[in-house]
Amino acid sequence: MTRTILDIHILQNVPPSNMNRDDTGTPKSAYYGGVRRARVSSQAWKRATRSRFNELLPPEELGVRTKKVVEALAERITARDPELAGTAPQLAEETLKAATGSSFEVPKRKAKEDDGTAVSESKYLMFLSRRQLDALAAVAVEASGGGNVARLKNALKDKEQKARARTAVDTRHSVDIALFGRMVADSADLNVEAATQVAHALSVHRSDIESDYYTAVDDRSGESESGAGMIGTVDFHSATLYRYAAVDVDELQRNLGVGLKEDEPPSTPASKAVTAFLEAFITSLPTGKINTFGNHTLPSAVIVKIRDRWPISFVGAFEEPVPKSAEGGFLRESCRRLAAYVPDLERQYGLADGPTWVFRVGEETRALEGLQGTEVTLGALLEQVKDAVAERLGSGA
Amino acid sequence: MTVLMLRLAGPLQAWGSAARFVRRTTEHAPTKSGVLGLLAAAQGRPRGADLSDLAALRFGVRIDQPGSRVRDFHTAHHADSGRAMPLSERYYLADAVFVAGVEGEEELVRRLHAAVRAPRFLPYLGRRSCPPARPLLFEGSLSDRPLEDALRGVPWQASRWYVRQLARTGPDGRTKTAPEELDLLLDCPPGEEPDFSLRDTPVTFDPRHRQYAVRGVRTSHVHAPAHDPTAHLRPAASPGRPAPRPGCLLGPRCT
Repeated sequence: MTRTILDIHILQNVPPSNMNRDDTGTPKSAYYGGVRRARVSSQAWKRATRSRFNELLPPEELGVRTKKVVEALAERITARDPELAGTAPQLAEETLKAATGSSFEVPKRKAKEDDGTAVSESKYLMFLSRRQLDALAAVAVEASGGGNVARLKNALKDKEQKARARTAVDTRHSVDIALFGRMVADSADLNVEAATQVAHALSVHRSDIESDYYTAVDDRSGESESGAGMIGTVDFHSATLYRYAAVDVDELQRNLGVGLKEDEPPSTPASKAVTAFLEAFITSLPTGKINTFGNHTLPSAVIVKIRDRWPISFVGAFEEPVPKSAEGGFLRESCRRLAAYVPDLERQYGLADGPTWVFRVGEETRALEGLQGTEVTLGALLEQVKDAVAERLGSGA
Repeated sequence: MTVLMLRLAGPLQAWGSAARFVRRTTEHAPTKSGVLGLLAAAQGRPRGADLSDLAALRFGVRIDQPGSRVRDFHTAHHADSGRAMPLSERYYLADAVFVAGVEGEEELVRRLHAAVRAPRFLPYLGRRSCPPARPLLFEGSLSDRPLEDALRGVPWQASRWYVRQLARTGPDGRTKTAPEELDLLLDCPPGEEPDFSLRDTPVTFDPRHRQYAVRGVRTSHVHAPAHDPTAHLRPAASPGRPAPRPGCLLGPRCT
């Protein structure tokens, strides 16, 4: 079988910003190559990617990650049968208990002022696809015989009904669950192995954290009231980031299943999901302090490769920190580094095989012309990767 | 007996032996459970699979570049208020390089080698967000020598910057002439007294009842063979690089 792994490499300039901070408000950092680098955690960028999905994909393709799963399911039940609005939360709770083996309770902060309408929540964030919630709603409505909670409880003791509820949460995973995985603490067999791997973004250069001391004027202070209305500091850094992610396309297809529509090739769900991830990962940005710094940028260079053995990060090209050039800026030298490092690495390890796409902006990235690959726009990149993935999945199936 | 050695190098790695719940720690070197997990994943074994054959492999690791610990404060956002709430503290090893080896029957070790060459699940260094920065396998990854000899014989895998830094900070400010003395951590042979123990031999990775047995560890040292492993990875025609330094401690391949 053809093995298909997608490698995504990105160089992105970010001006003064604090996208991802620790408990003291300081931007995250790490040591690499013996010097301190700016860092944006993989979790922060995965969350940003997932948020972009909301704009790129229809809601039914996506999951909801929340503790308020009972409420979410109750809404679905009510949508199915508006007359069940009264008992929907209880029906939802019983069905979720049977399906996931988890327990649900009213959180303490709400129980205090409970007027009888508080809805139970799970103890941890649960990740369910909209289709899974719909399937659970169907189970709840049918097995309760139209809203009878006692009858539902009884019905779910039956092996077959219980299995139906479990199947409802174990099939038809959403695109984001298939990509990022799912952990169900109380029921390990419902876990989904993530098909993507997102690395922490690191600056290609040494990056020290700076501190901005600010004062704010009180508009109504009179002449005699000197001094600022407020003072404070905010930490930030600027960075040229190397971002890397790998998608195990075969695993993604196992998670998503093959397409069921007659007029579609079986590879459609996986190739669509790959494209959605690619676009979302490229164009997303963690939102931390973005209104303070307005650091809305897009990548200057994107290299996408299809691998047939193992994924390869190019972070090693930047282990020796990129120095400031005479012209200033780090992008030009970063591109030169990649242009030299990538062919060398691939030749030494005998890996120069799969297709390569290069999507780049501006004169500073010209060095990347030296990489053997197709130069594309973002639109063409998405289209061509989608076709290549579909073809490989089709030939390997 | 055959030995398979992996080079574990990446900006971030995390090797926990007691890393559960909100405080996810890391040891200062790769754990046996972590490396066996990588191998089992490469073979595509599900989490609940039998591991007895892997657990029986003899494990050792050489610390080529110790790295430093990084604390990551990890938050989630509250669904109601949008407020950030603390979820976990994660520790990583930054900037480290290791050589980890497993020794066992030739057939099993060769199968593991083949699996790492074309892994079923993508490999990572202890945590999914930590991809390797260099290929795990290197020339000489498979060896017929005993584990300890094999680990002693592998060229020093430290990064160039680290080698340079050590050379600058030799005793009395003088340039070091010999490469670093490296720490070796090896499974304690049966019947011998271990230097320390870890709960680190995986019994099962099944998330419902993850289980680890105690593993005794013997420590040792080695003067790593002088060699710059990154020499062949250097950009061939990068402009503005300094000329080769005369008398470099790493020999002819060093620039």
